[in-house]
Amino acid sequence: MIEDIAIESRGTIKLSAPDCTSCMLCVRECPVWCIEIDSHTEQVTPEGARRPRSVAVLDAFTIDWGLCMYCGICVEVCPFDALAWAPSPRGGVGEAEQLVAGIEDLSG
Amino acid sequence: MIELPTPAYQSVSGGARQYRLASHPEIRVVATDLGLACCAVEFAAALTRGLLLPVADADPVPTLHLLVVSGTLTHALRPSIEAAWERLPEPRAAMAFGACTASGGPYWDSYSVAQGIDETIPVQVYVPGCPPRPEALIAAILSIAEGAADVIRS
Repeated sequence: MIEDIAIESRGTIKLSAPDCTSCMLCVRECPVWCIEIDSHTEQVTPEGARRPRSVAVLDAFTIDWGLCMYCGICVEVCPFDALAWAPSPRGGVGEAEQLVAGIEDLSG
Repeated sequence: MIELPTPAYQSVSGGARQYRLASHPEIRVVATDLGLACCAVEFAAALTRGLLLPVADADPVPTLHLLVVSGTLTHALRPSIEAAWERLPEPRAAMAFGACTASGGPYWDSYSVAQGIDETIPVQVYVPGCPPRPEALIAAILSIAEGAADVIRS
């Protein structure tokens, strides 16, 4: 565990999965294409609604930290604040594949 | 082939480019700085903040030589880091410090850039960041030391 640092000093980026609408803005704006999103749509009919709504459901969200250049464009572009800076930098890993972080890892 | 600074080269140049942890003098891991591009600045930041100290002649014999490769590796430089790795004394390990050394980083789609140093030399630890912070360098050196505690701690 690395000591926490000032929040604007390239710590790490956290995901709040419930806030993510799978809008893909971060994926498309990322200069190094290090974010991947997989999602599907479901039909939801709230009680009393006249017709069902299509809702995007997030299935997978990964950031490849081996590619990320910590520019923060994804944080800036997210309309729902699902991505945010966090102060604890990521440590080293033994295998390159372990640099790819999924929803659970990014939410921690 | 361009010759990169390694221990064999240093004995000629006299430049000290080998370092140990200031906070853990009992850990006899000696880190050798092999900076290819901008991530090397963070290695220098660890030095100027006193997190790393130059290795002195009186220090105990290192139990691990760690090659810290930072920066973008081009295909043209691959033979050079391979030679630097070959010249590093045993026991040895290599650290990929920063996105370029892990995967090619922002240049992963470039014709001239290697997609990580592990295509060329074996890597013990990958440190993410563009660049990683000096704290991450120290933490990674510690993690290597703890991974082989019985041989590395004096």
